[in-house]
Amino acid sequence: MGAQLDVCLELNLTLNQTENDPPISELVKLAAGGDRDAFAAVVDAQYDYIFRIAFKWLGDKSDAEDVTQNVVIKLAKSIQQFDGRSQFSSWLYRIALNAVRDHQRASNRQGRNVVALSLVSPTSAPSNQEDDVTMNEVWSAVRQLPEKQRDAVLMVYGEDMSHADCATIMGCKESTVSWYVHEAKKSLKGLL
Amino acid sequence: MSDMEKKLKRLKSLETPAPSSDAKKRAAALAMAAFDETAEKTTNGSQGLSWGQRLMSIVTPLKGIRLMDIRIPATAAITALLIVPISWQLMNNTSLTPPTLGETIVAPTEQKDELGKGVVDGVISQQETENDLAAIVIPAPEMEAPMVSPNVSASSKVATRTMGAPAPMRDQLGYLQSGDQFERFDDANIKLTGDQPVSTFSIDVDTASYAYVRRAIENGRLPQKDAVRTEELINYFDYNYATPPSAELPFAPKISVYPAPWNAEHQLMHVAIKGYMPENVMAQPSNLVFLIDTSGSMNDTDKLPLLKRAFKLLVEQMDEQDTVSIVTYAGAAGVVLEPTSGAEKRKILDALDNLTPGGSTAGAAGIETAYRLANEAKNNDGVNRVILATDGDFNVGISEPEALKDFIKQKRDKGISLSVLGFGEGNYNDALMQALAQNGDGNASYIDSYTEARKVLVNEIGGTLQTIARDVKIQVEFNPTQISAYRLIGYETRALNREDFNNDKVDAGDVGAGHTVTAIYELTPVGAAQPVDPLRFGETTQVDAASKSDELAFFKLRYKLPGADESTLIEMAVTNDNVVNNIADLSNEIQFGTSVAAFGQKLRSNAEIGTFGFDEISALAQASRGEDKFGYRAEFINLVEAAKSLAKN
Repeated sequence: MGAQLDVCLELNLTLNQTENDPPISELVKLAAGGDRDAFAAVVDAQYDYIFRIAFKWLGDKSDAEDVTQNVVIKLAKSIQQFDGRSQFSSWLYRIALNAVRDHQRASNRQGRNVVALSLVSPTSAPSNQEDDVTMNEVWSAVRQLPEKQRDAVLMVYGEDMSHADCATIMGCKESTVSWYVHEAKKSLKGLL
Repeated sequence: MSDMEKKLKRLKSLETPAPSSDAKKRAAALAMAAFDETAEKTTNGSQGLSWGQRLMSIVTPLKGIRLMDIRIPATAAITALLIVPISWQLMNNTSLTPPTLGETIVAPTEQKDELGKGVVDGVISQQETENDLAAIVIPAPEMEAPMVSPNVSASSKVATRTMGAPAPMRDQLGYLQSGDQFERFDDANIKLTGDQPVSTFSIDVDTASYAYVRRAIENGRLPQKDAVRTEELINYFDYNYATPPSAELPFAPKISVYPAPWNAEHQLMHVAIKGYMPENVMAQPSNLVFLIDTSGSMNDTDKLPLLKRAFKLLVEQMDEQDTVSIVTYAGAAGVVLEPTSGAEKRKILDALDNLTPGGSTAGAAGIETAYRLANEAKNNDGVNRVILATDGDFNVGISEPEALKDFIKQKRDKGISLSVLGFGEGNYNDALMQALAQNGDGNASYIDSYTEARKVLVNEIGGTLQTIARDVKIQVEFNPTQISAYRLIGYETRALNREDFNNDKVDAGDVGAGHTVTAIYELTPVGAAQPVDPLRFGETTQVDAASKSDELAFFKLRYKLPGADESTLIEMAVTNDNVVNNIADLSNEIQFGTSVAAFGQKLRSNAEIGTFGFDEISALAQASRGEDKFGYRAEFINLVEAAKSLAKN
């Protein structure tokens, strides 16, 4: 499952590219070197990817758009420091996750804890209704978990990531991720 | 597979709606702007100042929660700090390299992103400290935010550290770098009197550095070293020095020599100068042109809105003999208000109120227009001044810095001077503002709050508007039989060549009505531990000063009266009569100034200050607070305390 993240990300990253475009890693390198067009291409290619992460975490389209906007601006400012030591996709995932957290903490402080309770926003595409209900229940329960447990669960289950990839992004050990997931399951027992 | 596992597996099936293309476009545009800004700042580091290039800033900088601003509806914003590593530290570790004046280095961006979120009348909330392994909490301020989407508001003070990114840039004292631009300089080295007995510098009455430093510290970070110009910190305060009697002799310098609080073996030589204060400056007719930056980046609460309030203070003091014009640049470039009598306050205030930030179009000829209006309404008996207010965007129409300086200089010679008011943070181009104000015979002030606006535009309006002496230079020659080495505290960016002193063509600082100027030298008396060993084989300096051996130094000051082309000289010997052996016997003014000097050096991590700590600085300032009518000194003491706790972290 280790390669799954990368495969999945690769897919996503290549989504908006035609065959003539340089691969994303090249674009990132160029952008890090100050190439404006390359950066524009990176943003264009990554926007949906970031949005998807933000949406999963927040469950609200306009919040997700706001966070995505923050992330691309952060990306603009920090891409020069991307040193290729980690996967660009995991690096970006981490930025996105941090932005999500900031957003949530801020919302919480404002007494707008609604995000955690909100179901999938009505703007999402309607699908099998019964499925939606259960899924939404799971999502909203997961979003109420303590931060780390939630992150771990969302990455492992929501993104189908391996514990190892999740650990890289969370900056902890693989065993810690497993432990978070385990704790999360315990906490969810009462909720689901 | 357990039931829980099954349920969790469902998480995957969440369908993400497509983001709206508008949101994507907007985000992409903001990202490009941020990218350009970052790229520009980075390249500037090696290529020097390219201030004219920056035409837009959509990303707003950090804003401070200032107590006095509470009445501004607290809008919230997402402030997500992403601290990015740059080996900026190197820059702070170069105290041994020789001074490289004039070289501008742009501080790397402290990655601050805040994005405007929906405007909600929320209460500004404080960040709870959360110890999170991924987050370093640094106090980042709230801000008024431009609105993007209607229902989201948030604020956050969390700096997150990204993967693959080294630790945030902090040097030994815990300085964090911001995106503002400062001229880089190193502390003045100790000079051996035998090698270089003469010290020459231009005076500096600017105070911008203090306001900037204060703001940084109040925002929870120590300012970058280059933002700290010790002389501006010292000169921020008004000292109750003896006032000279007449406009003809505008200065009466007073010199005191006393032990350095931070080094018992050394002495400080304190030069106190106060400019002549005419009876009532506002009684003089003023012809003012406000040249106002209305680019998109001026949108923040502490920029255009503060600027309006600041200018209103000024307008309130005007009457029918005064004229005011308003010119804007960027966005709606052009004349907002033709020269209008100061009696028509309503009209002027309305024009100010109607200013709105917008656009990032280069405002063509903004500065020419301003000077044209100043010239139209020119009053030969009064003050003619263009007051440029900006957050750092200088797309005023002339894009070459040198051409702009020349233009300003040329206009100054025709009697129209220029003052610069700086606003905001993140984009502030200190170096250029200083340069422009110096060429325009004016001063550069940094307005970070309404209180500061009041200080500059009401309490010290005389100094701001009326110049009583131009090109004021100081030259001190030390007696090698008494003083083996010396060091000028501050004024690094104002050093002049020895020969410049008598050259009236060389420009120097100007002094406004009632301004006080303080310069402090640290002296190593002969007999004290020497900073440098004498040369074994070098020629012994033949000192022919034996006859004047009781003189420690000889002080000279040159200035030009307004309108005069030739300078006038004031000179005096510094002898044992100037020496005070106990610092407690000095006036409060001198003691307080000394504590500020110590603070500036401390912030610059100057080695000379040694173990003299924030506590000692605070104690010295506390003891010499004096009357402190406006509370500036009390504020300073708080600042020292705040810096102390920041330096610990």
